[in-house]
Amino acid sequence: MLPFFAELVTATDEDRRAFETHPTVVAAVADGMSAERYRALLLELYHVVWHFNPVCAAAASRMGDAFAGLRYFLYEHMHEESGHEVWVRNDLEAVGVAPEATRAHAPSADTLALNGYNYWAADRRHPCSALGMLYALEVIASVYGGSFASAIRESLLLDGDRGVSFIDSHSTMDAQHMAELRKILNTLKDAAAQAAVVESVRVNFHHFTRIIEAV
Amino acid sequence: MNAPERSGGGVAALLGRPYKTFRLEWSSDLRLLRVRTCVRPIQCYSLAAMSELQLMLSDISANPGLVRHFVMTSDVPKVFNFGGDLALFVLLVRAGDVDSLKLYGRLCVDLVWWMENAAHQGIHTTVLVQGDTLGGGLESVLPFHKVIFERSAQAGFPEVLFNLFPGMGAWDFTIRKAGFAVANEMILSGRLYSADELFSRRLVDVVVDDGAGEAAIEQTLREVDPRMRGTLAALRAQRLAAPIRLETLQAIVDLWADAAMQLTDRDLRLMERLARAQARKAGGADEGAVEEIKRLELENAWGERRSGAERREEQGDRRTPTQS
Repeated sequence: MLPFFAELVTATDEDRRAFETHPTVVAAVADGMSAERYRALLLELYHVVWHFNPVCAAAASRMGDAFAGLRYFLYEHMHEESGHEVWVRNDLEAVGVAPEATRAHAPSADTLALNGYNYWAADRRHPCSALGMLYALEVIASVYGGSFASAIRESLLLDGDRGVSFIDSHSTMDAQHMAELRKILNTLKDAAAQAAVVESVRVNFHHFTRIIEAV
Repeated sequence: MNAPERSGGGVAALLGRPYKTFRLEWSSDLRLLRVRTCVRPIQCYSLAAMSELQLMLSDISANPGLVRHFVMTSDVPKVFNFGGDLALFVLLVRAGDVDSLKLYGRLCVDLVWWMENAAHQGIHTTVLVQGDTLGGGLESVLPFHKVIFERSAQAGFPEVLFNLFPGMGAWDFTIRKAGFAVANEMILSGRLYSADELFSRRLVDVVVDDGAGEAAIEQTLREVDPRMRGTLAALRAQRLAAPIRLETLQAIVDLWADAAMQLTDRDLRLMERLARAQARKAGGADEGAVEEIKRLELENAWGERRSGAERREEQGDRRTPTQS
């Protein structure tokens, strides 16, 4: 029998490819995007990052003792991700959006759908679904983030990490996270929990694609 | 005349599946199955493409004697196949998932192994390459009985440029077709070769002008079909005379996966650069992975020249005090 991580990669490969091969994503990874669209994307991303830890906290609080290892994993992950929304805010400031404007931004329906699903799934579907959110977001960051950051840097003529610090740093930082996530997912034996993770990966890839498409 | 229905469901079962990554055409007079690949937007061996190909090949095997000729071409203009799914490799390497990398490699080996044994199933295989084919894309064409390239097509094993090597049959099939020296040269240089260069190295059987590929397929079929039994018997004997072992292919996949796990962040960034170039071409740009590989070759050459010059300067610096 395959380890669960391998099963997850295989079961959701089409969803990852659907994200990767969406024309807007292809164009963004290859050629970057205009400053206006990049600002719009970061503003949506700010709300995804801002709600990331609360979703993890909601999931951890609902996990029974049978999932104690996963609960500890989420605690550590939340600690590491804590304050990262500030990086997005700084990047926004570097491309011309004041912090007050970032805080006041109303997220799009697609971002609300993504965050709404993740809260609902942690509460009503299965708390382990938060691991599906982690997987999808970390794949996006570690596999595509580096290329996207390079493309943005070139298209907007940005210096160093200015304006791309969140995306660029997560592209390498999430590599370590991916390895840790693989290990913890391979401990997940409960069929209902596994199904919830697979569903969550699919939904997160779907909504994240819609977010990028809409900007 | 239609082929009779068989235990495996016959032609209807073979053609009846809703494939997403290729389309099939059946020609009953020659019992020819034509596979036209089209993995959107990046033409590569994705997991989905491989499982669909595997399903289709299993259908062929489940209907012995149904297919006599198997022809593969690409429906994507100027690209035959970019090889492995680079984004999937990056994902698995970053996740430290050596088992899934081995699993992916073994899926690839299963496909080339089916091609290697096609003559034992009474099938003659032909492939037409009309565009770029890199890494696993080139590996996948080498086991075909007849390899036809249009003149503008380019191919190579660029893996060494990002510190990897082609691990799904490149060594075995290149050595058998072209010899050890050519395999060494191609795999260790990472450079790209024109169709004529591949022909002169005996890796490609026929090179035709652009646009003449379809006629070359027809000519191959016309030549082989009347002499089918003899040709297949000879090809089976050829495989016995110069055997390739499944165990060796699988062991090399394991080495490849272990090597992939050693890739550094810089190597992965180079791989991502190629993936980005593929995406750019898929998005309609003129330049793609081939041009990016040429740039990488140039950068490597400059890097070697520069580090050589730096070494000489350092040696000069070190000599200076003793000379004075």
